[in-house]
Amino acid sequence: MQLAYTPAQQAFRAEIRAWLAAHVPAEPLVTLECREGYDSHVAWERTLATGNWGMVTWPEQFGGRGLDLIEWLIFEEEYFAAGAPLRANQNGIFLLGPTIMEFGTDEQKARFLPPMARGEVIWAQAWSEPGAGSDMAAISSKAQLEGDHYVLSGQKTWSSRAAFADWGFGIFRTEEGSKRHKGLTFILFDLNTPGITRRPIRQLHGETGFAELFFDEVRVPVANRLAGEGEGWNVAMATAGFERGLMLRSPGRFQATARRLVELYRQHKATASPAAREAVVQAWGAAQAYAYNTYAVAAKIMAGGKIGAEASLNKIFWSELDRTMHRTAMQLLGAAAELKQFGDGSINAWLEGYIFSLSGPIYAGSNEVQRNIIAERLLGLPRVGAG
Amino acid sequence: MDFRLSEDQLLLAEGVRDYLAGTHGPAVLRRLDAGPNRDPAIWQGLVAMGLPGLCVPEAQGGLGMGLVEAALIALECGRACLAEPLVDTAFVAVPWLLARGETAGLGEVAAGTRKIALPHAANPWVADGDGTALASVDPLRNLATAPAGASDDPHLFNLGALMCAAQLVGLGEAMLGQATEYAKIRQQFGQPVGAFQAIKHQLASVAVAVEFARPVVWRAAAALQAGEASAALHVSHAKLAATDAAILAAETAIQVHGAMGYTYEVDLHFWMKRAWALAGAWGSRAFHLARIDAGVIGGSHPIGPEHTFA
Repeated sequence: MQLAYTPAQQAFRAEIRAWLAAHVPAEPLVTLECREGYDSHVAWERTLATGNWGMVTWPEQFGGRGLDLIEWLIFEEEYFAAGAPLRANQNGIFLLGPTIMEFGTDEQKARFLPPMARGEVIWAQAWSEPGAGSDMAAISSKAQLEGDHYVLSGQKTWSSRAAFADWGFGIFRTEEGSKRHKGLTFILFDLNTPGITRRPIRQLHGETGFAELFFDEVRVPVANRLAGEGEGWNVAMATAGFERGLMLRSPGRFQATARRLVELYRQHKATASPAAREAVVQAWGAAQAYAYNTYAVAAKIMAGGKIGAEASLNKIFWSELDRTMHRTAMQLLGAAAELKQFGDGSINAWLEGYIFSLSGPIYAGSNEVQRNIIAERLLGLPRVGAG
Repeated sequence: MDFRLSEDQLLLAEGVRDYLAGTHGPAVLRRLDAGPNRDPAIWQGLVAMGLPGLCVPEAQGGLGMGLVEAALIALECGRACLAEPLVDTAFVAVPWLLARGETAGLGEVAAGTRKIALPHAANPWVADGDGTALASVDPLRNLATAPAGASDDPHLFNLGALMCAAQLVGLGEAMLGQATEYAKIRQQFGQPVGAFQAIKHQLASVAVAVEFARPVVWRAAAALQAGEASAALHVSHAKLAATDAAILAAETAIQVHGAMGYTYEVDLHFWMKRAWALAGAWGSRAFHLARIDAGVIGGSHPIGPEHTFA
């Protein structure tokens, strides 16, 4: 255990801190779940790319800086400390990118990763279907091989970013009559391919960030298949592991929320309950615990270790922490909690954050599914009912 | 920056874990409960492992290790529900005496011929002390009345609280394991009760709580070892997180055991009662919460993403 940053790590922190101080927009961007907000967030991705900050851990040839996971954590800490915008690019850089690195051909890496790192192509995920939410193996959308193309048909839904994004990824049934986890194939597709219809779905907050996708005889080149035909389930599980595990939600995000919550508490101290006060203290503690754990996992992965079903522990912890912190903030705000904008015109980010935090225990695999995974794979309890 | 336990530290803990699993199982706890609850043979085994001398300087026959190693072993003592006063002697008293420069007689501790029970103003009792006996809910815990004018030294307090936290994590892990094993074999409605999601999800929640309490204990041990200004706050964070995880583990474990959990015959109660005892020892939950509060809300401790290791 060595709890000091090296001079090189300190210099890196100073570098990113200075760059962010010079570039982060002075005013918070409007939510990326609307046209205007999406466009400004994509513009921010391209600004990040001008500093070569798109995805610091990737090899330089793919648009990264070849940095290690500790440096990535330092980057993330500074990123959230600076109040920089959320990443429009998250499905690409945190989920699909690592998946392509693991399963893609050299051609696919060269083709897809650099534009992803530069924020030129924004990715939507297309996991769920109307009949396949938590039970993703119930997927029925098809991809039929015809020559050097797959022909996609079916429907995906609740696809994050799909209202505005450029490309999407998902798994499709390539084997006629196959069941459950078998016969599925992981396919990447341009969202502007003829035959794809996007129907934006209005979300809880009233904006339209995710969408339904309808596939009607959509022709996609075989070159867009990731890994082999029929191997889609394993590839998707790896992607989901990245989603729940280390990268999607770095600790800096929650440490920043905890700090804002402490500041909010100080403003509302006179009217706050002792229970809210304890919740604020516990929020700091939990965000710190998550950070310590992430540092330990990062060091383990750097030493050649892997993160498996433990990712489910993380996902439950951060999603429930986020909801608790925002609920506490709503309590502290009292009658002002319902205002979309405060009297001074500033956006009620706690309200937006609270609404978004309610999706945390649902997306990336519901927390009920995560608890099943923990019980069955980490604790070894018997599986029942799953095919 | 490397927030990981070293291979050597993990091997040390694994060795102690295996030793205690092989020599200090539930049958031993039941025997101790039925008769004298201290056993010189068990103590001698710990001495042979070098554990009383873990933090004693090598020049005095010890292993010269620090608080991270001590906390690792304290966690294993919790996991085994160890009855002998190893933690208080070797991981609380010895580091405290060393910090004060009072090194006389530490060789005897390493040799196993001296046990030390230190009173502290925070505790209304002394564990394994010489005063009038007081009955603890934990049948393997020997309490005595505290002498008048006990020390209120903050470093002693922090050592006591840190080692309590480490034991509580070990107790929590053990209770999670016992409840999980019981859920695999207990059949109701034609299947193991552990196949029901109502059981699975409760146990998974315990696994989450324990997973995220553990690194807080390592952070506190490192802070206290290095004498960081923020060490007291980290110790309180560890005690709070470990207590909450252990109490959740205890209450979930008895629930998963059903009516069997409410009997004296199921071994769970030894671990559960130790957790109840240590939850209030060396500073109440309210005390530790207030110490974190003073730093975090009071503003004396730097918070936020760029201060992860403040």
